[in-house]
Amino acid sequence: MMLQVEVEQAQPLPLSGAFRCDSGELLALVGPSGAGKTSMLRVLAGLMRPQHGRVQVGDEVWCDTARGVFVPPQRRHVGLVFQHYALMPHLSALDNVSLPLLHLPPAERRQQARRWLAHVRLSDAQQERRPAALSGGEQQRVAVARALAREPRVLLLDEPFSAVDQMNRQGLYRLLADLRRDLSIPIVLVTHDLHEAAMLANWLVVMDAGQVLQQGPPAAIHRAPRNARVADLVGIQNRFQGRWVGPSGQDGWGLLQWQADGTHTATLPLLTVRDKRRIDVGQDVHWVLTSDALTLLERPPGAPDEFAAVVTEARPLGEITLLALELEALPGTVLRLTLSGPQRLHIEPGRTLTVRLDLGLVHVMPVRGR
Amino acid sequence: MDWQALILSLQLAGVTLLVLLPPGLWLGRWLARTRFAGKSLVEALVVLPLVLPPTVLGYYLLVSLGGASPLGRWAAQALDLQLSFNFLGLVVASVIFNVPFIVQPVQRAFEAIPRELTEAAAVSGLGFWQTWRRGELPLAWPGILSAMVLTFVHTMGEFGVVLMVGGSIPGETKTIAISIYDRVQAFDFAAADRMALLLLSLSLAAVTVSFFASARLATRR
Repeated sequence: MMLQVEVEQAQPLPLSGAFRCDSGELLALVGPSGAGKTSMLRVLAGLMRPQHGRVQVGDEVWCDTARGVFVPPQRRHVGLVFQHYALMPHLSALDNVSLPLLHLPPAERRQQARRWLAHVRLSDAQQERRPAALSGGEQQRVAVARALAREPRVLLLDEPFSAVDQMNRQGLYRLLADLRRDLSIPIVLVTHDLHEAAMLANWLVVMDAGQVLQQGPPAAIHRAPRNARVADLVGIQNRFQGRWVGPSGQDGWGLLQWQADGTHTATLPLLTVRDKRRIDVGQDVHWVLTSDALTLLERPPGAPDEFAAVVTEARPLGEITLLALELEALPGTVLRLTLSGPQRLHIEPGRTLTVRLDLGLVHVMPVRGR
Repeated sequence: MDWQALILSLQLAGVTLLVLLPPGLWLGRWLARTRFAGKSLVEALVVLPLVLPPTVLGYYLLVSLGGASPLGRWAAQALDLQLSFNFLGLVVASVIFNVPFIVQPVQRAFEAIPRELTEAAAVSGLGFWQTWRRGELPLAWPGILSAMVLTFVHTMGEFGVVLMVGGSIPGETKTIAISIYDRVQAFDFAAADRMALLLLSLSLAAVTVSFFASARLATRR
């Protein structure tokens, strides 16, 4: 069963984009707050009617503005987990989960609700409690159980982990991974947490200001963001400026001049990187490197892809250390990487080290019209 | 003690509440949910009976409901009904001057229900009446209860409007508040005392019970 969405709207708020999500897949809508992620979810649930758009699940058309079709939320069979859960405060967990089961006789209704609550691992005693007497993580589970009790054709989750502490979050990640495997329906997750999105989703849809900017598998977007905005939105820290010099003479490779903000010294490093023949000679570019492409060496540079750099920051964070290094050849240009293992123990601010860049992983993006 | 007046007041309060509750719930909920251009004007009209002197309100009601008014003439001819100086006239007046007492608390109660909750009900497949019964009504209940109590107690005690529209006809329009005034005019302070105290205790008890019930409902959340 495939979920297919197309939205094109200018008023009352701009929203446009198209994506699809197949059964058993988990699609993450990511972007800053106000990017339109939740609006997109509301369109799917039928809580918002887009100006122009089409929503189809399997062979059921839920919304088609061109043909005047709009199925109300009551007839969509969507499981929606709201950001703040939206549990009825005057009802017990059990009664909340019974709400989507009102079509059943009372005895069967309670039995099914209990089954769903047990599925999300809520004890019998917890099932009788009102939401206020449950922890954030438990309320979250009740909200998931209520969404599942609807026997949804699509499961939608709006920032489901935002109000849950780290420990409960791990449990919910596992729950979601299990659901994805067991339910075999399309799951759409809204989140602003990129690690979460990369960990849980197999398809990322990056949104900003109501527009879908890019979509694809998380690793592909990290490796090759379409533009600087996407690179920023998906949290790529090593983004630099440069100028495209042209083909290097070697087939499939080109030359990239590394530039710092506004400075044009004579000794700008020249990098040999992959040439996808998308960029004109002399054009200003942004380029990115994932931290996988950076290696720290404790010896002087000895190759064209090795650069001397001074450690400006070393911030230990539990099991990992966040490092910032300033390039000697380009003052003001900072490389960021995380380090784990024994190497991090003797790296201190002020030390000069060598950074090796895996130039095969450099991704170059044109600077758009300015 | 003027028992006839007390019973009349209780009847008036009961009938007023019965007539006013359904449209009051609808109007309060509608004002809580809807945004439109003239909303402030509608809200002002709702509050107007609260800020007008009862004699002014009573005067306009008398003028518009009396036998000489178009409405009064029409009611008399078409329906064979008299709209002033009788119980029916009191009910009509009482419904109008109680509009703010029912609509305002109801509106606040519905405004306090997060939109997410009704949306969650819709996504769970609940239709309008199911959402109303399982969600909105229980959630708004403390506000609805206090609106009902306020309306009832306020009707029991209203004086100015009742006197203007109903006069003081025993068994027809002479309510307990007017009976108290009547007794004071006759220097029968003992009777006035008893009735005033009764009204005071009744009002205090009703409002206390409604506050207590609301507080209990609130802590149960």
